Amino acid sequence: MTPDQDRSVEAWRQALTRFVTVIPHTRELGLEVLTVTPPVVTMRLPWCDDLLGDSARGLVHGGVLTMLLDTVCGSAVLCALPALEVCPTLDLRVDHYRPGVVGRDIFAEARVLRVTAPVVFTEGTLWQEEGRPLARGIGNFVRLGPRNTPPGFAEALFAGEDDHA
Amino acid sequence: MREGFSDVEWLARTRAEGDVEAWLAWVPYARRIGVSAIPDPHADGLLYRLAPSEGNVGNVLLPALHGGVVAAFMETAATLDLMLATRIPRLPHIVDLSIDYLRTARVAPTHARCRLLREGRRMANVQVSAWQEDEAVPVATARLHFVLADPVTTDHADA
Repeated sequence: MTPDQDRSVEAWRQALTRFVTVIPHTRELGLEVLTVTPPVVTMRLPWCDDLLGDSARGLVHGGVLTMLLDTVCGSAVLCALPALEVCPTLDLRVDHYRPGVVGRDIFAEARVLRVTAPVVFTEGTLWQEEGRPLARGIGNFVRLGPRNTPPGFAEALFAGEDDHA
Repeated sequence: MREGFSDVEWLARTRAEGDVEAWLAWVPYARRIGVSAIPDPHADGLLYRLAPSEGNVGNVLLPALHGGVVAAFMETAATLDLMLATRIPRLPHIVDLSIDYLRTARVAPTHARCRLLREGRRMANVQVSAWQEDEAVPVATARLHFVLADPVTTDHADA
C-alpha cells in the first residue's frame, strides 16, 4: 500500500468524498468535498430548506454550522496523520460571527494546526460569501491509535487507488 | 396575522401556553434531526429529546450519532428553554458554543436538560447536559452564550 502521506491530492479528495458519503447525515445533505491539500480541506454544503433554524426570517440553524465544522475539521484530521486512525471529537468551540441566510450554499475550510501523540488540533471557517465568515470553529480530536482503528479502514477509503497506482 | 418568531403577539401567546411544538414548526433543521420537548418527570419544566434515526448517524462502524447533530440538538434545546425562561419574551441569537464529548452517543433516544445560569439585559448563559439511558452518565455537556434580542427589532435583518 502507498503510505498515506504520499497520496496524491486527487486520491485524498476521493478518499474524503468516500468518508463523507459513508456518513448517513452528510450523505443525505449532499455534502461535497471540493479540495484536499493536506492538512487543509474545503467542502460545500448545497442549500436545502432543511438547513433553516428560523424559516420566517430565513436564517440558517446554528447547529448546521456546528455539524459542518465538526465534519470538515474531522476530515482534515484524517489527511494530517502519519497513517489513518479513527479520531472522535474531544471538544468543539464555535463562534458565530453572523447568521447564515436562506438559499445560499455554505462553504467550509478546515486545517490541522498540530498533531501530538494523543490529540489533533484543528480550526475551521464557514462562509456563504467570500470574505464574510459565518462562523469559526476550534475542534480537538482524540487519536485512538492503530489498535482501535478497524482493519480495512484505509483500504476502504482508498479503494481501487492502488490498483492503478 | 403573521406567525413566526418576529411576531410579538404570536411569540407572547405561544410562550404563555408553553407551546414549544409551535416554535419547532418554524425550525426545519430541528425537525429534520427529530427534536421534541417532553415534560420533566421529576420537576417543573421541560426536557428535550432527540429521536434515534439512521439519518443522524455519523459513524457507521460503531454505529454512533454524528457529534455535530448532538450539538445541534443541544443548541436547539438551549434556545427553546431560554425562550421559555426569560423574564419577558426575547429572541435568543447564538453567540458561541463549547461542547465536550464525554462518551459515544449510540443510535438510541437522547435527552437534554438545560440550566439558565445567567440572564442579563443583553446576554444569557445556558448549560446543557445530554444523556441516553442514565442522566448520571452524560454523553456530552455544552455551554452557550446568546444575545437576547427584542422581538420587535430584527437585529440580524441586514446581517
